[in-house]
Amino acid sequence: MDKAAFLARVGEYHENGWRLAIINATTVPSPDEATPGVFEISWGFAKDLEFETMRESVTTADEVPSVSEFFGAAFLYENEMRELFGINVTGIGLDLQGQLYKTSAKIPFSHAAVKARLEATAAATAAASGKKA
Amino acid sequence: MKRTIIPFGPQHPVLPEPIVLDLLLEDEKVVDAIPTIGYIHRGLEAMVDRVEFTEMGFVVERICGICSFMHGMGYCLAIESIMNVEVPDRARWLRIIWAEISRIQSHLLWLGLGADAFGFENLFMHCWRMREEILDIFEKTTGGRIIHSVNRIGGVRRDVSDSELIAIVAKLDELGKAFDKTAKVFASDASIRHRLSGVGVLSMANARAVDAVGPMARASGVRMDTRLTGQNLYDQLEFEPVLETAGDCLARVVVRMREVRQSIDLVHQMVAKMPKGDGLPIETKVRGMPSGETFTRLEQPRGEVVYYVKANGTKYLERFRARTPTFANIPAMIKLVKGCDLADVPNIILTIDPCISCTER
Amino acid sequence: MANPFRLPMAPRTIRNLFSKPSTRRYPYEIRPRFEGARGTIKFDVETCNYCMLCARRCPAAAITVSREERYWAIEHLTCIGCNVCVEVCNKNSLSMSTDSKSVHTHAEVGPQGQRPGHEEWHGPDPVIAALAAAKV
Repeated sequence: MDKAAFLARVGEYHENGWRLAIINATTVPSPDEATPGVFEISWGFAKDLEFETMRESVTTADEVPSVSEFFGAAFLYENEMRELFGINVTGIGLDLQGQLYKTSAKIPFSHAAVKARLEATAAATAAASGKKA
Repeated sequence: MKRTIIPFGPQHPVLPEPIVLDLLLEDEKVVDAIPTIGYIHRGLEAMVDRVEFTEMGFVVERICGICSFMHGMGYCLAIESIMNVEVPDRARWLRIIWAEISRIQSHLLWLGLGADAFGFENLFMHCWRMREEILDIFEKTTGGRIIHSVNRIGGVRRDVSDSELIAIVAKLDELGKAFDKTAKVFASDASIRHRLSGVGVLSMANARAVDAVGPMARASGVRMDTRLTGQNLYDQLEFEPVLETAGDCLARVVVRMREVRQSIDLVHQMVAKMPKGDGLPIETKVRGMPSGETFTRLEQPRGEVVYYVKANGTKYLERFRARTPTFANIPAMIKLVKGCDLADVPNIILTIDPCISCTER
Repeated sequence: MANPFRLPMAPRTIRNLFSKPSTRRYPYEIRPRFEGARGTIKFDVETCNYCMLCARRCPAAAITVSREERYWAIEHLTCIGCNVCVEVCNKNSLSMSTDSKSVHTHAEVGPQGQRPGHEEWHGPDPVIAALAAAKV
């Protein structure tokens, strides 16, 4: 992703008085073994009655710059993204060093973890319907 | 000048849910605060891989006990928007009536906790006694006091008869009269004023800078309310957000009290405007799988909540995210706590109406 | 600062001194629940036809049904009271009563290792039931 252009657009939102509403990451499963899985990150901005989003697709190898210099409140979302998704966010304003949540499984939304959960659910439903039929 | 670190939480009499703030003190003044959350992280958003989208509503409404109704409603609204389901009118009105009554219940709970925070237990009990009337209304109409389970994708599961609605409005009016007497105490009692006035001042510029939402922002004069967008039939109601300018803890108490009055008035308007008659449809049958993504915003008692749902055509959703208002207000809380006295810390933390279960899902 | 001699709570406090407490003396006084309140699931084994719709639709997977063995069981402590099973049952075998779920103070384990709050029914064998009905 083009960091400079991204930060410039975020800066524009800040200049025009928009408020940061949400930073969300989604684990998109990869269609086959060869392509690496991507994360879709959405930045949602709100002002008065309007709501606009910016979207970027990144992999674990990409560095995502923090928007803390414009929106100080972003540190919570970015710490969460790093801890739960394993996305490499750099330059967070208040960096909690991976101490935000205490999860028993590290990085619960990584591609491997999500795939494992979906496969476990499929196995469980197959077993249950096999038993009930 | 003595520096000490005091951990505030995770268990504290003033906190409804566990959160830790490590307070760095110089003598009695708080210089810095480092938050740690995660004591109530249940990983509910990861359940989308295990729970079908038709049943996910039950999981979502159990994210929090206080904000339960609007979580369920927001989830159903998001899926209905993805699947282009048209919900019958009566169901839409019933949903917002329950939502406003849920707001009254949440604010009464908070007012009680606020009174308990500065030691006024008598007032705490009065607020919660009034709240019992609201919980009785919920049990009569939805079957549950806290977890209602009435929202379904496509509508609601139970109808409320017109006579019952008129009885509810009468009961809310009675509650309003009793509430006015309690509101007078909050507004005029000397000890409350001494504890809350001038404490934790958030100026309008700061409220904008930390992206505060809900009554936190409205008490500082920022005119922000998701109900102004006019969705969910709010464009048919006369509604003006409650604003205060002082920005201190007392202003936030006053904002929430005035919102209770405003919600009672809104329920009056809703019952008057909704389509009357028995046997009107309350649900549209929904078939098929959702595919697509959407952001849905609602006004919860604590502020603006943003729901993000992404579906990929299978019966399991790809992503569900609830960005709850307390999540957005935590930076505001940390900012306010710096520079205050140690004795004011419980008041300031309670004043953002922390719902940590919502924050951590 | 406000006048400390104004006591807005005083009339209420004096009234409270002379009235009965608002707190109910539970468990000696139990509040009757409203009609339609969510409580425990009741099952009528005579009418069930073992279609297994309730078990499939239960969000908490609290119901176990076996068609061959004519066995129907529910874990009351897993049940979330959502009422979906009552709504989907074609034979009206299930109903939601307003009785609150009983409290289990010990982790009583049943003879086959059933968890506390487990309730099961064994339905009549259909062949024998049909023969009995034919004889009458």
